[in-house]
Amino acid sequence: MNPMKNPRIIGTIAVIILLGLTPLAFAQENYAMRVITVGMCAAIAVYGLNIILGFTGQLNLAQGGFFGIGAYGVGLLTTDYDWSFWAAFVVSVIGTAVIGYLCGLIALRTKDEYFAIFTMAIGFIIFLVISRWEPVTHAHSGVNNVKFPEGGGLIDFESPVAMFYLVFAILLICVYTTYAIRRSSVGRTLLTIRTSEDLADAIGVRVGFSKQLAFAASAVFGGVGGGLYATVVGFIGPDAASIDKTFEFLMFILVGGMGTVAGPLLGSMIVTFLFELFQDFQAYRFIVLGPIIVALVIFAPRGIVGYLGGFVDRRNRRRRVEEARGADDDLDSTGASTSGGTGDHRARNVADGTESGAGRTGGTPSPEETK
Amino acid sequence: MRLTRAALMPAEDPTIMTLFIQQLFNGLALGGVYCLAAIGLTLVFGVLRIPNLAHGALYMLGAYITYFFLTTVGVPYIAAIGIAAIMLFIVGVGLERLVFHPLRNSPHTHHMIAAVGAMFFFQALAQAIWGADFRRMDTPITGELRILGAEISAQRIVIIVTAVIVLALLALFIKRSIHGQTIEAIEQDRVGASLVGINPSMVSMLTLGLSALLATIAAGLVAPINLLSPTMGDALNLKVFAIIILGGLGSLPGAIVGGFALAIAETMTATYISSAVGEAVAFIVLVAVLAIKPNGLFTKAVQR
Amino acid sequence: MNSVSRSRRRRLSAAAVLGAIALTATACGGGGGSGEGDTVVIGYTGPLSGGGAAYGENVKIGLEMAIDDLNADGVEVDGNPVTLELKSLDDKYAPSTAASNAQRLADQDKAPVVVSPNAGAIKAIQQINSGRSNFLISAYTSDPAIVQADNPLTMMIPPNFESYAEEFSETAMEHGGKKLALLGTQSEYGQQWTKSIKDAWSEAGGKIGGDNSVDYATVSDFAGPVSKALSEKPDAIFVGGPSQPTALIMEEARKQGFKGSFLVMDQAKLDEMATVTKLDNLKNSVGVLPVSEYEDPGTEDFLKKFAEKAGEKKVPTSETALNYQGIAIIAKAMEAAGTTDDPEKIREAISEALPEVDDKYKVNGFPDEITEQGHLLNPNLEATFLNEDGKYTKVPIEQVSDDK
Repeated sequence: MNPMKNPRIIGTIAVIILLGLTPLAFAQENYAMRVITVGMCAAIAVYGLNIILGFTGQLNLAQGGFFGIGAYGVGLLTTDYDWSFWAAFVVSVIGTAVIGYLCGLIALRTKDEYFAIFTMAIGFIIFLVISRWEPVTHAHSGVNNVKFPEGGGLIDFESPVAMFYLVFAILLICVYTTYAIRRSSVGRTLLTIRTSEDLADAIGVRVGFSKQLAFAASAVFGGVGGGLYATVVGFIGPDAASIDKTFEFLMFILVGGMGTVAGPLLGSMIVTFLFELFQDFQAYRFIVLGPIIVALVIFAPRGIVGYLGGFVDRRNRRRRVEEARGADDDLDSTGASTSGGTGDHRARNVADGTESGAGRTGGTPSPEETK
Repeated sequence: MRLTRAALMPAEDPTIMTLFIQQLFNGLALGGVYCLAAIGLTLVFGVLRIPNLAHGALYMLGAYITYFFLTTVGVPYIAAIGIAAIMLFIVGVGLERLVFHPLRNSPHTHHMIAAVGAMFFFQALAQAIWGADFRRMDTPITGELRILGAEISAQRIVIIVTAVIVLALLALFIKRSIHGQTIEAIEQDRVGASLVGINPSMVSMLTLGLSALLATIAAGLVAPINLLSPTMGDALNLKVFAIIILGGLGSLPGAIVGGFALAIAETMTATYISSAVGEAVAFIVLVAVLAIKPNGLFTKAVQR
Repeated sequence: MNSVSRSRRRRLSAAAVLGAIALTATACGGGGGSGEGDTVVIGYTGPLSGGGAAYGENVKIGLEMAIDDLNADGVEVDGNPVTLELKSLDDKYAPSTAASNAQRLADQDKAPVVVSPNAGAIKAIQQINSGRSNFLISAYTSDPAIVQADNPLTMMIPPNFESYAEEFSETAMEHGGKKLALLGTQSEYGQQWTKSIKDAWSEAGGKIGGDNSVDYATVSDFAGPVSKALSEKPDAIFVGGPSQPTALIMEEARKQGFKGSFLVMDQAKLDEMATVTKLDNLKNSVGVLPVSEYEDPGTEDFLKKFAEKAGEKKVPTSETALNYQGIAIIAKAMEAAGTTDDPEKIREAISEALPEVDDKYKVNGFPDEITEQGHLLNPNLEATFLNEDGKYTKVPIEQVSDDK
């Protein structure tokens, strides 16, 4: 299918363009700029979660911890050690990658629920270290006055617009990387593991290695998001590494749609919007939000992008069925047909698992998704 | 109910030995708390494969409802705990019907997120009804026992004893009674059990209700030692998860061993190393054990 | 062929997605803008749910009481009557959320002042309050770091906590002995206090045991940490965290046979602790003076109004009373500056406003000056020693400098 006519790609590009244009409208609204920029930092971390959870099917609950490591890396290096932002950022991301890889080595010996709780414990240990290791991390006092990125005289990053575009640019890289992974054999490998590890192993997929890689990749994205977050907000405390952050990311990816390209971005923006909208209720907002979250999980587990995608798929399938029927009629009259091509599409579509409810929803990759 | 002081070895000054014994008892009492809280969760997790992150919130609600019956309505302590336990049983069943049942075919991510949503809701509800302030719950159980120079309060002894009794009753229930056996059957083989005519839905409701009931008993006994607040279940939540993973999902003996072992480890490291390490020890032990035995200490055959 | 329906489908999906983004943008961009005409919004971001909720609520009550009283008495700025309005947002104790909230209150509700009651949040807000957005922070924390930050729009209300260390140590040593055990809370604030007390205690010639700070919020059973602290045979114990858990620790210590004195951190309030445990357990302690023991002109009426608003059982604490004073000061500063939307002028006008504030708003030790860096100073700061007879005796405190 011609990529330019693919609704998914059009949709994703539309979202990206709209997002990129927001500073034009909101450059003077500090509040809006801040919320959106912070939301984008979270979205980057969610893209990481998308790789390990959306593609590979492993519930990694340490993502908040990696976000925190990235944030503290940048924060501490630029303040206590007076490094430049860029140097601190690079080192911080590499550090998170290494720690992520090491954690992955142990964590991936466990499976399913054990893995989930295990990573939750790792995330909590990271939080404990950050919030107790006073000589290094300032513990609860936090890290103040994180440096702005140096613009080399060309760009002034103290301007919210410049900061916005910096995070936006990195976010674009994440989106593209996710798209590239989806299309590539790496992506297919991960999706196979998500469907069934034993089966993947049986057909010769290097399950352990792939999981390691996915886990490390998700940690890297988390670290990148955290590092940017530190410079955007200027002051970070141990809450940047808390389990609450992890739950936030989970909600973003759930609403957006796991295993999709636009999902993490859309989910982050929409849930951030919902949270800000409900701020007026103060303490009571969770009396409403709690049931909303539950309802979302029950009725819309594939997320918004998942459903839009499913909607598109159904229309595609219907169209092809019509085409095939039309071609069959044509066969009698003209002899020439496009049924060959249609037949191929039909075969591909047969395996399209949707909301029939059979088996685990979200566990069967639709062939449309594995472009 | 009063326990008189029984001085087996009168000693005024704390010695090294006394500190050790004191901390051992404190660890045992803490272990009792953890066990009571963990038992329900391991059942739910083992039988239903549901990571019920809202377990801490159920515990918290149990404490508040006990408090309500004890103070506002004026029912005696044990009765208050009993009534609250029954009410929480119903809440547990409700939770199963409304939240987990619709998700029964979904991956675990969804269960956990839904449970988080429920947890937020319960906390906000508790705060809306009882306010955010700490509350103190009084207990009629007073007095201390003095053993080898160490003091241990009667309330804590009651916790340990109750934990043991409840565990024994539960084990009996699961092994001997029909309903209990259905739980074990589903735990071993869900499909096979339903083929034999056991209704998985009924078992799910029973298990979740039971876990809420047990959590309430734990909360009612423990709350007088500490304070009630809408977030009182949070810290416990993570530790309890660590315990049941450590002990092996679905394993009752695992929950017991894990609970006591962890509590004593926590108390001892906090005493002899530092309190920061004491806090982290639960998770360090968890990581260490899982690195060697990925399915926990007492594993049953892992069902896929 | 089907290109028509295909492009329609494309447009549909794109439209749905565009709509969602537009919604997001408008939600942030829109929102109630007020502050023109005669209403001035006082912004408040604090922990209104989660672990710090009780504290956040206490602050809010103080703000509400002040605004009600001020509106009743009438505030007049530049010849025009002005109504004050409180707008509160919950930040769940997270600094980044607090800063976003403050930004929103300043941008959308045009609040010239935002109140924030914890140091982490204040530090985060200080990153943004005097640049693109301008607003005054009414900072409720005794952490001096926030006035060492060179922020031109900060007003710090409580005394610098370091001021307490010397007299607390002397008083506790006098009534207990030379050996100190440290059993405070693990929070940022607790750690700072612990350090401060350690320094002062050593300087006074005492001995210090190990640091047994525990997280008051997560420890299920205090008996263990207390036993550990008591094994050092201390003559005095430093405790502190939220009032009620602190009360339990003191009770447990007494139960385990501790006879010495307590130093109580300013986060814990002795009279609030007395609602959770017997007063006997709290005797022989030095801590902050309960609000009800103050003899300022407005104290009695304040206590009555508080009881009406919050109920007889609730004990008024300094976070309520000092914030009550704080808003009165801000209102007077607005009057003196002749403006409700120029935060710099309001900040400048605070010095001249202080002596002008009506007596009824003086309830908990009223400041008579504000330092260059923005710290309000009460010349007659007093703490208390709760003696064996259950009386709150007064302990005068000399305020230390805010410089690093």
